[in-house]
Amino acid sequence: MATLHKTIHTKVPAGATPPAPARASRKRRVGLGEKSIPYLLLAPAVIVMLVLLGWPALQVIGISFRKLDLGELVRGEVVWVGLDNYTAVLADPEFWTITMRTVLFTAAVVAGTVLAGLMVALLMRHLSGAVRVAVQVTLVLAWATPILATTTVFQWIFDQQYGILNKTLVKLGFDSFAGFSWFSSGASTMTVIGLLIVWQAVPFVCFTIYAGLLAAPKELYEAASMDGASSWQSFTTVSWPAIRPLVTLATFLSVIWDFKVFAQVWAIRQGGPDGESTTMPVLLYLRGIAGRHFGVASAVAVLMILVLLVLTARYLQLLLRSREADVS
Amino acid sequence: MVGIATIALATAGCAGSGDDSTDQASNGEPRTLTVWLMNGSAPKTLTDSLNKEFEGANEGVTVKYEVQEWNGIQDKLTTALASQDPPDVIELGNTQAPSFAAEGVLTDLTGDVDSLSGDQWLASLKASGEWDGKQYSTPFYAANRSVIYRTDMFQEAGITAAPTSRQEWLDAITKLKAKFGSDPQFQALYLPGQNWYTLLSFIYDEGGDIAKKDGTDFKATVNTDQAKAGLEFYKQLLDASGTTAPKDNDEQNPEQAGIYGQGKVAMMIALPWELGTAAKDNPDIQTKSSAFPIPSKTAGKTAPVFQGGSNLAIPVNSKNSDLAKDYLKLLLSEKYQGQLAEAGMVPGASTDLSALDANPVSKAMAAASKNGKAVPATPKWATIEAGQNPLKDMLTAYLTGTKDLDTATGDANTALDAAFS
Repeated sequence: MATLHKTIHTKVPAGATPPAPARASRKRRVGLGEKSIPYLLLAPAVIVMLVLLGWPALQVIGISFRKLDLGELVRGEVVWVGLDNYTAVLADPEFWTITMRTVLFTAAVVAGTVLAGLMVALLMRHLSGAVRVAVQVTLVLAWATPILATTTVFQWIFDQQYGILNKTLVKLGFDSFAGFSWFSSGASTMTVIGLLIVWQAVPFVCFTIYAGLLAAPKELYEAASMDGASSWQSFTTVSWPAIRPLVTLATFLSVIWDFKVFAQVWAIRQGGPDGESTTMPVLLYLRGIAGRHFGVASAVAVLMILVLLVLTARYLQLLLRSREADVS
Repeated sequence: MVGIATIALATAGCAGSGDDSTDQASNGEPRTLTVWLMNGSAPKTLTDSLNKEFEGANEGVTVKYEVQEWNGIQDKLTTALASQDPPDVIELGNTQAPSFAAEGVLTDLTGDVDSLSGDQWLASLKASGEWDGKQYSTPFYAANRSVIYRTDMFQEAGITAAPTSRQEWLDAITKLKAKFGSDPQFQALYLPGQNWYTLLSFIYDEGGDIAKKDGTDFKATVNTDQAKAGLEFYKQLLDASGTTAPKDNDEQNPEQAGIYGQGKVAMMIALPWELGTAAKDNPDIQTKSSAFPIPSKTAGKTAPVFQGGSNLAIPVNSKNSDLAKDYLKLLLSEKYQGQLAEAGMVPGASTDLSALDANPVSKAMAAASKNGKAVPATPKWATIEAGQNPLKDMLTAYLTGTKDLDTATGDANTALDAAFS
C-alpha cells in the first residue's frame, strides 16, 4: 500500500531535471591566471570553429555582394555590385515558389520523420529481445547505407517499366499503374524524394527517442498500469515527459538537415520535371556550380540561412533563454 | 548549404593572372607543359608517341600528361583555371567551349588558325570554338550517333538491306516484331524517352533547329512546325518500336549499352563505342552488330546528326602558351589526326575519313558526320546541360501524355529562352 501512495505523489513530470540549486552564494576571490584557464582551454576549439566555419561564412556573405563569374575568378578581380545579386534573386518569381516549396517540403518530411521515429521507438519498447534486436539491426542498416546507394534503390523501386512498385500494384489489381511514371509531375516526384529522405532519417530519430524511453524508470510504467492507466495515459504521463526534450532536439536537427538536403533531390530528377522538384539547395547548385555565377549563388546561400533562422527561431530562443540544458 | 558556395571561395583567394615576363623562358631551361585530355578521347598509343615526339623536338621540355574524367570536369576546370599554375592545354566538350570562351579565360587563337591546320577543321566544331568573331578553341575530334543493329536478327526477319528512309526503318521494326515479337523481352529498338540527341536529329531532318542565332543572342525555336514534326516522329518511332525503356529517363539511366548487351534488342541509337560497352557483357555481340546512319524522311538521304565532340584550348593564365601552341600544332597535324580516325573518331582537323571505313560501325558514323550540327554556340548551353534540360522535360511530358504537343513545345521554348537570356 505504501508504494501505491508513493506513486500517486510522484505524478508528472517524472524524469525532468530537478530545479538547479541556487547559485553559489559563497564568493571567493580567484587570481587572473586561474580565471583565464577555462578560456585558454576553450581557445583551440573556438579558433578551429572560427577558421573553419566563421571565415567561410563571412566569405560567402562578402561574395554575395560581388559579381563573381568564372572570368572574375580567373582574373582575380573583385567587382562589388552592392545588392544586385539579391535583387536579381528576389525579383525572380520562381525564387518564391522554390522557397515555399522548400519550406513545405521540409515541414512534411520533418513531421513524417519524427512521427515515424516516435512510433518505431514506442514499438521497440514493447518488443521481445530477439525481435527488438532484429528491428534495431534493420534500422542501423538503413541508416548506414550510403545516401546515393539508397537513392539508386529508390529509383529502381519507382522505375516506370521495371520498378517493383508498379509491378506489385498491377498484381494487386491496380492496372492503371502499368507503366505509370512517378516522375512526370512535380508532386509525385517530391513525394518519392520525401519518402526517401524519411526512410534515411527515421533510424537516428528513432534511436534518440528510444534512448529517452529507456531513461524513464520502469517502476513508473508498472505503477501506471497498476493504477489502471490506459496506454495513452501512460504515454502522456510517463513516456512523453521523458522523451520531450529529445523529440524537440530531433525535430530541430531534422529541420536543419532536411532543409538543406541536396544529394537525394538532385540525384532523383535534377529538380525536374520542369523544375517542379527544385528546392533551395538545388537552386543554389544551378546558380553556382552549373551556371558559375558564384555571387548570385552566395546570395541564395545567405537567403537560405535567413529562412532557416526563421524556421528554427523558436528553438534557438529556447536554447538561448534557458541556462540549463533543459530545452523541453 | 554554405558548403556548395564555399567551393568558390577555396579558389577565389588564389586566383592570379599570368605573368608575361615568364612567358618566354630561354631555350634549354627545363620547362614543363601540362596537358589535360579526357578519358576515352585520344588512345594511349597516340599520346605516348605524340609526347615523345614533342619532347624530342623541344629540348628541356617535359610533357606532364594527365587524363581527366568527364564526371565533374566542369568544376575541376573552373578551379584549375583560377589557380596560379593552370594546365597549358585543355580539352573541352564542344558544348562547354562557348561558356569558357565568353568568360575570357581562354587564349585567343584567331591568329594561329592557319598554322593549326585551320583549312581542315570540322565546321561544327570550329563554330563551337568561336565567340564574338574570335577563335578561342580548336576542333579535336567529333562523334555522332548512328543506329547500331543486329545483323543476325535483321537476316532472320528477312530484312535484306539496312533502312535508308524513315519508312524503311519503321517497316524493319514491323518485320522484326513479327519475327521475334513472341518473346516478351524482345525490343525491336531500344529508345528511352529522353534521348534528346536523337530528337535533335529528327528536328534537323524536318528543317528545324532548337534555336536561331541573332548576333550573339539566341532565340529558341522548338515551338516551330518543324520541331513539332520532329517530336511527333520521335513518338511515332517510340510507339512503333515496342521499347520498354523508361519514358522519363535518358539513355544512360539505365545504360542502354548494357541492355543491348543482353541480346534481346535489335537496334539502339548510339555512339560507336557503346557497342564496345555492350560487348563487355556479351563478347559475341560485336561481330553480330553493324550500324547504319539515322535515316532521313527523304529516301536515300541520312538525317543530319547532333555532333558531339571535343575542342582544345589554352587557358589564358598558361605560362607556356608558346609551347602549348606548338603542341596543338602537332596534335592537329595529319599524322595524329589520322591516328584518331583509326581509333574510330571523326578527326576534328582532317577531312580524310577513309580510316573510319575499316569498321562498319565507324563507317556509318563517318557517313552521317558530313551532315553534323552542334547545339547553339552560346555560353548558356553549358548551364542547360549541367543543370536542367528543357528538351528532356518536353520529351517526357509529350510521350507520357502529360502535355499535348503545343503545350509541351511551347513550355520548352519558354524555358530555353529563359535559359538563353
